[in-house]
Amino acid sequence: MKHRLSHRQLGRAGLVALSLISPASVAAQEAKPAEKTDTKPANAAPKAPRPLKLGGPGIEQERSFKPIASGKWTGPRLADGQPDVQGHWSNTIANHNNFTDPQGGILNDPNPNRVAKGPREERAPSRVSDPADGQVPFQPWALAKVKDFQAHFHDPVQPQYIEPLARCAPAGIPKSLYWHGYEISQYPGYVLFQFNSGTRIIHLDGKPHLPDNIKLWNGDSRGHWEGNTLVVDVANHNGKALFGRSGEFISDNGHIEERYIFSNDERDRYLYQATLTDPTVYTRPFTVTVPARKWTAKDQPNGWHFEVEPANYVGKTPLKEPILDHYERVCTENNGGFGLVAEESAKK
Amino acid sequence: MKTKPTPRPTLPQTFLLVASSVLLLALAAHNVNAATQKIPRLANGKPDFSGIWQTTSAADYDLEPHSNRKDAPPGAGVIEGHYLPYLPKALEQKKKNFEQRDRLDPALKGYTLGVPRGIYYPEPFQIFQRPQDLILVHQFGHSVRTIHTDGTDHPKDPYDWWLGDSRAHWEGDSLVVDVKHFNDKTWFDRAGNFHSDALHVVEKWSFLDPNTIEYRAHVEDPNVFSKPWDLSVILYRHREKDFQLIEDYRFTLDYDAHYPPKPDGK
Repeated sequence: MKHRLSHRQLGRAGLVALSLISPASVAAQEAKPAEKTDTKPANAAPKAPRPLKLGGPGIEQERSFKPIASGKWTGPRLADGQPDVQGHWSNTIANHNNFTDPQGGILNDPNPNRVAKGPREERAPSRVSDPADGQVPFQPWALAKVKDFQAHFHDPVQPQYIEPLARCAPAGIPKSLYWHGYEISQYPGYVLFQFNSGTRIIHLDGKPHLPDNIKLWNGDSRGHWEGNTLVVDVANHNGKALFGRSGEFISDNGHIEERYIFSNDERDRYLYQATLTDPTVYTRPFTVTVPARKWTAKDQPNGWHFEVEPANYVGKTPLKEPILDHYERVCTENNGGFGLVAEESAKK
Repeated sequence: MKTKPTPRPTLPQTFLLVASSVLLLALAAHNVNAATQKIPRLANGKPDFSGIWQTTSAADYDLEPHSNRKDAPPGAGVIEGHYLPYLPKALEQKKKNFEQRDRLDPALKGYTLGVPRGIYYPEPFQIFQRPQDLILVHQFGHSVRTIHTDGTDHPKDPYDWWLGDSRAHWEGDSLVVDVKHFNDKTWFDRAGNFHSDALHVVEKWSFLDPNTIEYRAHVEDPNVFSKPWDLSVILYRHREKDFQLIEDYRFTLDYDAHYPPKPDGK
């Protein structure tokens, strides 16, 4: 029997860190652990930016992306009339290292190999697409808390400096959309998201939101289709899932309106746009944009975006394309502190 | 003690008995047919188990018959033959588990419940069904189990999984699921009944009527039990107005008070 223990969040440092994980810390949801792609330097190479390729290896797949307009859906539909967008999807830009400079590496990183080196304009734009400065319009108290988190992320002397995803908490919204690949499946009345950390059931049946005092990591989602766009109203946030290792957040007073805009021209692309409103934390609503691409059997498995293996098909009917297994997404806690566990010297 | 002689039925009485028996049998057969015809089906004709389900049994407290105790209501058990056929050494382990259940039960830590425990744990789960698979989302931990009905078999080069690997086929209107490649971190119930990573479960899911499922599990684990055993529970469809799953990530409760940041002094 094989045992895989490497952890997606540790990569190179992981082998050392794993010895620090207590057996009792095995928590509820274990992913089939990924390859060592996660700690690849999130920045471009020092001189010329290295080429990126959609469907290629690694986390970063592109540095820019096209807008997609809401409108009619001309693609295939399911029996219940929903646009058929089922399958494996993943963001194309980066992981959750840095919310507003996605390919800029983790802020204040003491590891010289993970510090962004090229100019900002050579990297993907901020996930904050409005306001134009790409920054979250935090109220002063909230900005101070974010800066405090960033200053302590590599030195987590208090529990609140540990990014909760490292403790197997659901990634929440919007972080789930740029944390590993995920699977969308559809049913009459539902769209189901199986994220690497957490599961979301989008209700399309118009029932009312849960009562206000119920607070959830992924909130409570009510959706409907407008042409090529899945519009989802999310309430009941607990505000506990940070947006990344850069510490941005929403509170339990927040509200999120999501638009998943699927492309008619390129059936393997959609754009995620979410408007976040929270009078407790922000000075105004702002918009988050995340580009996504579909991964299919034509692609090579990727230890971050597309964690699949060919299934053991024993049926007699010839298949049009191979069936892929995505094994259970269960997390193993690894809160040993990030970047503290291995010294690395600068690469030449 | 003397027993009274049973009075012989008169001829007309006998006739009535036979006639009413025939009538009852006919009615029963009719009901079975009606139920079979009325069960929900997918477009491909297979039974459609989509919905939110939960047992009312006391199975999760203890699969075996038990009197009431501080942490459990009484229950007659859900195992055929009542008792689990533990190997001697495994029985010792079970007794230790039972004594320390308030500390060791993996469910108390919020861990994924495993198979079959997730099915009869006293929280709802939702089935999302397509021709190629059934996806079970358990409210507890929001853990997700996929049952494949797409002509695939267990992987040739498997890992150990919390929920095992589930490959299914249809036998008439019953879904038969072969589940194996488990880890040894889950229990069967709160009473410390346990298994090894050699656990092998064969489930049989059948509609009794459109809102009721009979769930059977045939369990074998040669490291723990001297022979296979069987359990069965009934699952009921949630039909309350606006009923839905509410995510229950129990394992985050120990640390989630540290988030999100709050204004100082609040």
